[in-house]
Amino acid sequence: MSCTTGDKSCETPRRRGALSVLVLMAAIFLTLSVFSFLDSRGQVTPDQISYKDYSADDGKRIFQAYNCMGCHTIVGNGAYLGPDLTKEYNHTGPAWLEAFLPSAGSFPTAAAVRTHLISPEQLKLSGVTSFEEYLEKYPGAAERLDRRAGKVSHMPNLQFREGEVAKLIAFLKYTAAMNNEGWPPAIQAGSLETRVAKVHGTSLVAAANASVSASPEPVSASGGATAEQGEKLVTDYGCVACHATDTTQKVGPGWGDLFGSSVPLADGTTVKADQAYLAESIRNPDAQVVKGYPAGVMPPYKDLIKQEELDAMVAYLVSLSKAGK
Amino acid sequence: MKITYETQRLSLRFFMLMLVLFGMQVGYGLLLAAQQVDPTILAGTLNFNVARASHLTLGILWIVCGFIGGTFFAAPLLAKREIAMVPLAKFLFFAIIGLVIWNLSTQFLAMKGIAGWWMGQPWLQNGLEFLEGGRVFGLVLLVGFIILASIVLRTFPPVKQWNEIHWGLGIGITALVFVWIFGLFYVSRLDLQEYFRWYVVHYWVEGVWEVIHISLIGVLIVFMFKASVRAVGFAVFWGISLVWLSGLIGNAHHYFWVGTPEFWQFWGSFFSALEPVPLVFCFWHIYLDAHANKRPLTNAPAFYFILGSTVLELVGAGILGFVMTFALTNAWSHGTWITAGHGHLALFGTFGMLGIGAAYWAIPSMRNTPDFDQRLGKLGFWFLFAGMLGMALSFAFGGMVQAYVMRVLGLEWSSGDVSPAMGVFKMTLPVFGFLFAAGAAIVIYDLATLGAHRSPALTTPAATGWRRPLTGFEAGIWLGFMCIFGLVITFSLLAFNLPSVRVGGDPTLPYLLGGIGYLGLFGVTLGFVVRFTASLGARLRVESPELPTPDLAIDT
Repeated sequence: MSCTTGDKSCETPRRRGALSVLVLMAAIFLTLSVFSFLDSRGQVTPDQISYKDYSADDGKRIFQAYNCMGCHTIVGNGAYLGPDLTKEYNHTGPAWLEAFLPSAGSFPTAAAVRTHLISPEQLKLSGVTSFEEYLEKYPGAAERLDRRAGKVSHMPNLQFREGEVAKLIAFLKYTAAMNNEGWPPAIQAGSLETRVAKVHGTSLVAAANASVSASPEPVSASGGATAEQGEKLVTDYGCVACHATDTTQKVGPGWGDLFGSSVPLADGTTVKADQAYLAESIRNPDAQVVKGYPAGVMPPYKDLIKQEELDAMVAYLVSLSKAGK
Repeated sequence: MKITYETQRLSLRFFMLMLVLFGMQVGYGLLLAAQQVDPTILAGTLNFNVARASHLTLGILWIVCGFIGGTFFAAPLLAKREIAMVPLAKFLFFAIIGLVIWNLSTQFLAMKGIAGWWMGQPWLQNGLEFLEGGRVFGLVLLVGFIILASIVLRTFPPVKQWNEIHWGLGIGITALVFVWIFGLFYVSRLDLQEYFRWYVVHYWVEGVWEVIHISLIGVLIVFMFKASVRAVGFAVFWGISLVWLSGLIGNAHHYFWVGTPEFWQFWGSFFSALEPVPLVFCFWHIYLDAHANKRPLTNAPAFYFILGSTVLELVGAGILGFVMTFALTNAWSHGTWITAGHGHLALFGTFGMLGIGAAYWAIPSMRNTPDFDQRLGKLGFWFLFAGMLGMALSFAFGGMVQAYVMRVLGLEWSSGDVSPAMGVFKMTLPVFGFLFAAGAAIVIYDLATLGAHRSPALTTPAATGWRRPLTGFEAGIWLGFMCIFGLVITFSLLAFNLPSVRVGGDPTLPYLLGGIGYLGLFGVTLGFVVRFTASLGARLRVESPELPTPDLAIDT
């Protein structure tokens, strides 16, 4: 190297040489960049995707507002605490997400997902005709209902405002439709049982399966509707994911001392919480929305539960208040 | 060791602010480690995402404070005159404090889903990794960067008289402004957003911070070893050139899976594999400069941190970056703790240690206490160094398990599958975190009270065995082992592609190679720094007149 130190005449050509190589590199980089975002590449864009009344861009703004990336990853970037969300929509489908997101502190039960799939609109959005078909189309939802239903999740309950859940689903629908060049890698390591056994050992899987088969179907209350049956039903339907049995507010109002109290409604009126009001709030929650809570968060249960089940649940709610005791 | 220009004292307040923010960042880090073990801790009060956003922003801001401190300390010497626009420099200090308070408060809005949307932009908080601050924060910070660049450029001599160090620092400080602009727009397309987000993150780290880092290391080497400004300038020039030539297209390694085309996988894998080259170069240069004359260290903590910065730059940024820069390895490391190991070791190691090292050099000069007690500083260094290596190891091993459970087995239930599988490493993380926090407390206390205690009489140990002089040959062997273990880690990630792992679900080979690779790499790193500092500690202390600091402003 003749131009090492001290020789002033070497400085200028050396700087120029480095600069010209740098300019060449920048030109390559910018050319590649232009080709990355041409329409002809066919990459999906947020304006092409919507869910219910919302565009994917509405959802992206909500995604940023809650700093979802601060726990999850999206296209692999983020915080590595929660799961990657890029393909979540394809994996679990919109009905599971509708059931999960409002009460993210715990995982939805089959009944909670089924509730959403009663509406023809949701069936159409999910692209299926029945709950069974939904589980086939979205294996992630089936896996979660099998393994996680009713269990506590690591995610906090976020008090989503009206429409925010649907907006987030619109964004996830968009990211799931993106071409990520095959990432994350496809799973090739066998059936779910095999893969779970790799982490937890076969004995634990067997035990879990045994307990699943031993657990009875949701009770259809025959005979008198008792508060004990109601208590079992609110667990099976996943109601307690959103409602506390005391007066604390989770996603919806707490049930403690609710019966017999005066409930202020969003339209400014007040209603007395008698049995008829409680029954109607379960059957058709949006008919009388409580002040301070957005409409549309709780799905209507009118087509899903039988009259005896409703009576049992109301009896349970009554038993949670002093007036009822 | 006395200051020449009165305005060099401006750097002191930025170093002190740096220490406060560093302490806060460590506090948030400990909380995050605890929340990794039990996510219900402070849930609803200070959620994980809020704590993480604050942890990252504080990290950026204290590193910038270290840069400002180092730059203000060096700028008058580079310019041979006092710093220009002193009132603005003082304003900058209060502006950063205001920004910190504003940012820590606004991050809480994420728990309520409030971003402050107005005119299509999130003004209060942004909700994107590394760019968590809203537009108010971003624009005020932009003004701050403009003020900083103006002060430095107005202080420097005319461009025709610039040598390589002026160029490095001048370009670096000015580029801070321009690169930040790419983070100030809301982008609707996720792929385009990620494209521009990495402009800020990658080009800041690889293109701008690295340039400031190389220049400031150069300045400190001249201070410490009275090295020739021409020789250092030569190293600075080649360091910066190689960083840019590899890093410009190297940014492509962020474009593998974010929705950009497949051809980036070739460009990213190829060019970013070259990114360690300048870091090997800098690593080698610090060996050369430390051995140019055989004088003993006058300020051991400052040199320890500068050495730590250069070594961890090579190991954390260079080697741990290299292992996951290939599309075939990145497919598995992407989105796991493996990247967090690289990030922690690279960012704290390279830039954090530089700031602390610069503070250790500058503060005794400003307080005029050359005979300060150096023992606490050295102790703090070893705690920080070992604590961060341990944390990076926990991240790396936890990340290997995470990659296996999430990507190979496709189980992403965090409380049911992933967290229990990563359990051991989620526990070792806070253990090493406490070691690191103890080091931070020692260093913060020591720098705040520096000069209050005088150094005891020093005895020089015999330069034999572990303390014998370090030869270039031996340093090369250490370096060689670092590279070999780096390759072993690369193979451990590549092994995830084997059918026995992907289809058979058997993680033995990647775990085994990863265990050997990471333990070997970190062991060699620790051993090398111990050996290097021990050999310098054994240099004979002979009474000789102090050499004058070479003229930094010399026109080369």
